[in-house]
Amino acid sequence: MNAQDAVLETGYNSGIPPVNYLNIKTTLASWLLTKDHKRIAIMYLISVSVFFMIGGLFAATIRLELLTPASDLLETGTYNKVFTEHGIMMIFFFLIPSIPAVLGNFLIPIMIGAKDLALPRINLLSLYIYWTAGALALYGLMVGGVDTGWTFYTPYSTTFSNTYVMIVGLAIFINGFSSILTGLNFIVTIHTMRAPGMTWFRLPLFVWAHYAVSLVMILGTPVVAITVLLVAIERVSRVGIFDPSIGGDPILFQHLFWFYSHPAVYIMVLPGMGVVSELISNFSRKKIFGYEFIAFSSIAIAVFGFLVWGHHLFVSGQSPYAGMVFSFLTMVVAVPSAIKMFNWTATLYKGSVSFDTPMLYGLGFMGLFLIGGLTGLFLGSMGLDVHLTDTYFVVAHFHYVMVGGQVIAYLGGIHYWWPKMTGRMYSEFWGKISAMLVFVGFNLTFFPQFLLGYMGMPRRYAAYPPEFQVLNIFSTAGASVLGIGMLMPVIYLLHSLKFGKPAGDNPWMLPGLEWRTTSPPPLENFATPPVVTWEAYEFGEGSGLDLEEARRRAAAPATL
Amino acid sequence: MQTTNWVPLFPEQASTFAWQVDALYFYLVAVSIAFSIPIVLAIFVFGMKYREREKYVSGAEIHGSMVLETTWSIIPFIVSMTIFLGGAIVFFNQMTPPDDAMTVYVVGKQWMWKMQHETGQREINELHVPVNRTIKLTMTTEDVIHDFGLPEFRTKADVVPGRYTYLWFNATKPGKYHLFCQEYCGLNHSGMGGWVYVMEQRDYDNWLSGNASGQTPVEMGKDLFENKLGCASCHAGGPQQRGAKLEGVYGTTVKLTGGGTVLADDNYIRNSILNPASQVVEGYQPIMPTFKGQVTEEQLNALVAYVKSLTPGAATTSAAPASAAPSAASNTMGGNSASGGANSMTPPKADRGKRDAPGSNPNTPSNSNTR
Amino acid sequence: MSTHGHSDKFVYHEPGLQHQFSDMEQQEESVSIGMWMFLAQEIMFFGGLFTAYLVFRSKYPMAFAAGSNHLDAFWGGLNTIVLIVSSLTMALTVYYAQKGNRNLQMLFIVLTMIFGATFLGVKAIEYNDKFHHGLVPIAGLNKRERGTAGAEQHPEGKPCWEVAEHGSEHEYVNPKGEFEWADCSLAKMAQDEGYLTTAEKTGYFANGELDGNKFRDKVRIFYYLYFVMTGLHALHMIIGLGLMAWLLWTAYRGYYNADYYMPVEMSGLYWHFVDIVWIFLFPLLYLLGRHFTHGGH
Repeated sequence: MNAQDAVLETGYNSGIPPVNYLNIKTTLASWLLTKDHKRIAIMYLISVSVFFMIGGLFAATIRLELLTPASDLLETGTYNKVFTEHGIMMIFFFLIPSIPAVLGNFLIPIMIGAKDLALPRINLLSLYIYWTAGALALYGLMVGGVDTGWTFYTPYSTTFSNTYVMIVGLAIFINGFSSILTGLNFIVTIHTMRAPGMTWFRLPLFVWAHYAVSLVMILGTPVVAITVLLVAIERVSRVGIFDPSIGGDPILFQHLFWFYSHPAVYIMVLPGMGVVSELISNFSRKKIFGYEFIAFSSIAIAVFGFLVWGHHLFVSGQSPYAGMVFSFLTMVVAVPSAIKMFNWTATLYKGSVSFDTPMLYGLGFMGLFLIGGLTGLFLGSMGLDVHLTDTYFVVAHFHYVMVGGQVIAYLGGIHYWWPKMTGRMYSEFWGKISAMLVFVGFNLTFFPQFLLGYMGMPRRYAAYPPEFQVLNIFSTAGASVLGIGMLMPVIYLLHSLKFGKPAGDNPWMLPGLEWRTTSPPPLENFATPPVVTWEAYEFGEGSGLDLEEARRRAAAPATL
Repeated sequence: MQTTNWVPLFPEQASTFAWQVDALYFYLVAVSIAFSIPIVLAIFVFGMKYREREKYVSGAEIHGSMVLETTWSIIPFIVSMTIFLGGAIVFFNQMTPPDDAMTVYVVGKQWMWKMQHETGQREINELHVPVNRTIKLTMTTEDVIHDFGLPEFRTKADVVPGRYTYLWFNATKPGKYHLFCQEYCGLNHSGMGGWVYVMEQRDYDNWLSGNASGQTPVEMGKDLFENKLGCASCHAGGPQQRGAKLEGVYGTTVKLTGGGTVLADDNYIRNSILNPASQVVEGYQPIMPTFKGQVTEEQLNALVAYVKSLTPGAATTSAAPASAAPSAASNTMGGNSASGGANSMTPPKADRGKRDAPGSNPNTPSNSNTR
Repeated sequence: MSTHGHSDKFVYHEPGLQHQFSDMEQQEESVSIGMWMFLAQEIMFFGGLFTAYLVFRSKYPMAFAAGSNHLDAFWGGLNTIVLIVSSLTMALTVYYAQKGNRNLQMLFIVLTMIFGATFLGVKAIEYNDKFHHGLVPIAGLNKRERGTAGAEQHPEGKPCWEVAEHGSEHEYVNPKGEFEWADCSLAKMAQDEGYLTTAEKTGYFANGELDGNKFRDKVRIFYYLYFVMTGLHALHMIIGLGLMAWLLWTAYRGYYNADYYMPVEMSGLYWHFVDIVWIFLFPLLYLLGRHFTHGGH
């Protein structure tokens, strides 16, 4: 019997409340001018999904081109644009906003017992800025695109590239402010909007993770904003500080760029870890092992993440002594992630583990982030990095942590909170199938790339020596499986909106605050503002959940 | 040498510190397995053993354990420090050449590598070095950042405009090894590769003196024509003949498409190789690719000599506008870059990649033919 | 408390209380943390520029000194005083808002705006001076001056360290409106006295000789940073003036009193921040030259 069957009844907190945040007003204006964090989250959901598909199409194109050693499917110049745009779409318009802007926006106020975020209009502004930036980026792609690589290294990007660097650079600049405002909002909200009784150490770890992420968003993003702005100015005016032929320093660009872009990867993965903490804990029906350690390790990762950017510059001509400092700190920043991994595993011990789709994604994250994180150590070790940098090893590493980590966590979170956001359950059967397809397809796509990287295959190559072909074919084959696995949720989730079974308040009978209100929630999240008297992840007697009743319902034959 | 019949998993170790890098790699693989296996095993075992038996039953009330937390903070930290130390030591070795290094100067540009040996020999996209000698590369670039990557030697270094960067290796086995550009640099980044030829000292000396394998220009030209540059695939007759017949063409007047004629002299042959689209022979399609940037002056001379040799009696005239046959220490390739002195590497004005031009070959003579 | 929909007539809200907050204290705390976070990110935003400044100043101190010498510390100093006084008037605005004194509030907002506008006016004067002297780093954006027939741009044969600074000996000739800098005497001085940095030892020289063009390129970097940093700051100032205009309007409408003056205080925070950024910009940009030409290294 699975969770889906449990909701097949009428009566007990079942069904979709007649008035909820989705249907309280249905005009277009009520959506576009909304201040409701839940609606803003849904609009973000639609937007990031669109950008993910676009980025995914670029990815498919890359893998198709790399089936053969020659640059035959695409001209090299086009290929260069495709991988650049894949990176830009995915990183700036999907990975960075996704979990915070969709799940964070939706859930943080509910998880802390508040009516909305502290600054709803700032939240809406953040969405508008994101749309503006996205439109500008798409426009830039359509008029000709950009071919500098998502890293925009100078002087290629300032002086040599013949593509629309300035337009796309400006789009990224604008997008940064969307991220900053979201982070600002979260920090304020978590500080001031907690319901009575919701102390810091009763907060779900999802909230702690977003607090840590918001610190990074606020302090890191402005640096890349000013850097990209300087590149745009330099490009237009032919004067600047990055092109050595006019006196500038190209390595300064790299330092400024990576000062943000390394913490950016923690912006991407920390919320994912927050989701995973929720999934592992809730689907083991047991409080997370080492709550304080996980909470503080999130903060530690955020802080130390600012100190390691130089590990992207080991072969750039940076001083070897600086390199040693960065390598040391890179090792240090790995430790909090290891702590989390152990804590999640220990949570399973003597738990009551169920394998619903969200949990499959959570466990998938653990396995894949394990590999991704460990291979980060390979790259942080300087002697090895000299051989591996700028090869497919790096590509494999970051896809393991970003796709195998963040995207899988995002999908897990979407599946977990889908009933809360929409009031409907999706097909558990198809959910499990696609989770497994994603896991298998992902490994088949990216594991061969570790081997390719060690062999020496450079990244960003449209054409490669023939001895690399076999592994590339495996990789493309895996990509097709991965692609199918990622498309399936689109179908069955959309299907569930109309045909899915009503989920009820608490389809899995979990203690979190978000499960104590209707699905979908009312406009102000709770019928009566909650007063919290229980600890985080309270599964025992103190949870106040009527588990006997729920078991009875689950055992009763389905009545329609 | 690379075998290409099976799925390759490991590059050759061709330098003195390659084993160190590989050792570090295997250590990390071992550490990864040592951490992964317990965790994955635990996930499976706990997942199975503690699966939900009755609906909604809670798990045990276990909140944490200071002992465990401390253990699994300290042990990973110690392990990561060993990784750091190992990496730092290997890195230090990779960055510190021994004193007896032989220097080669390298200039990267979109999209080729130009090397110059201390003795004056210049190469494009190829680097000939003797085995068991310490080679230190002093490098820069004329335009954007590139990266000189040598996977089989387990080393690479960015080349940065406006300054010099360095790379060293000591090759342990004769052979032919990949050179890749490993920092994205624009249009032909993936084409900006080449080969490092590690040779026995004797062979290297031979090569240095200009006679790579004792070949005459005609023999070298024939080798290039039939093997290295693939000219024969279109010009050698037979059913695939897509290119003009070259036997007996030297010295004759050739009819071009669009009406004109041209005398098939040395310049004509040279121009056909560097700029074929400008003078297509009547009756043929304009499909010959340009070899601009892919042939050195020396090779052009050899090709001209070879094509001449296909016309009996033409071989003795030496009307080549290029300078005389290469000799050991002289500047055989002029062009607009620095004079042969080892230290003046002031880069010429950069060729700011025009959209369709794959980068110019500085070795083409200027139009006024001053040599 | 209402349990259905969202209808103001059932719930008492204090004036100015937003619906998501349960009381004024929560709103004020939120707004305050929000503004401080915003200022933190603004610091990081300017921080990138200060980093670039730091890097290039340590590489090419003489070029930076030379560039800085042309900046008029009088105007810069005047602007500094103007901004400090405007911070005083801003603080008084907050004070009188707290007191509920509408007239004095408005007076001090207006004074703050006058000082802010003065700042911008002085900046305009300075930028105009750069325009007239060929110091705008972007080619074409300087005053184009064809020059009388026969006038030379620089006397033939004079090495760049003997060319007196800007215009005193020869007329301004700049047909294409390019960035012009001919005087490399500070580099010569550093060379003679032996305190050129490693970067300067190659950066200013061509073929072993001091090269006026290469020195000019480094001075141009100084002016590039000058314009970008003061420009970004001036942009923030303009936004600040807009904020003041809004504040003036709402003060006129009588929104603020002892219980509710948070918007005034927050605007004050922003204004003080803009002031503080200038306090850092001023010595780094204007006073640098003095440091080097008066014996500092």
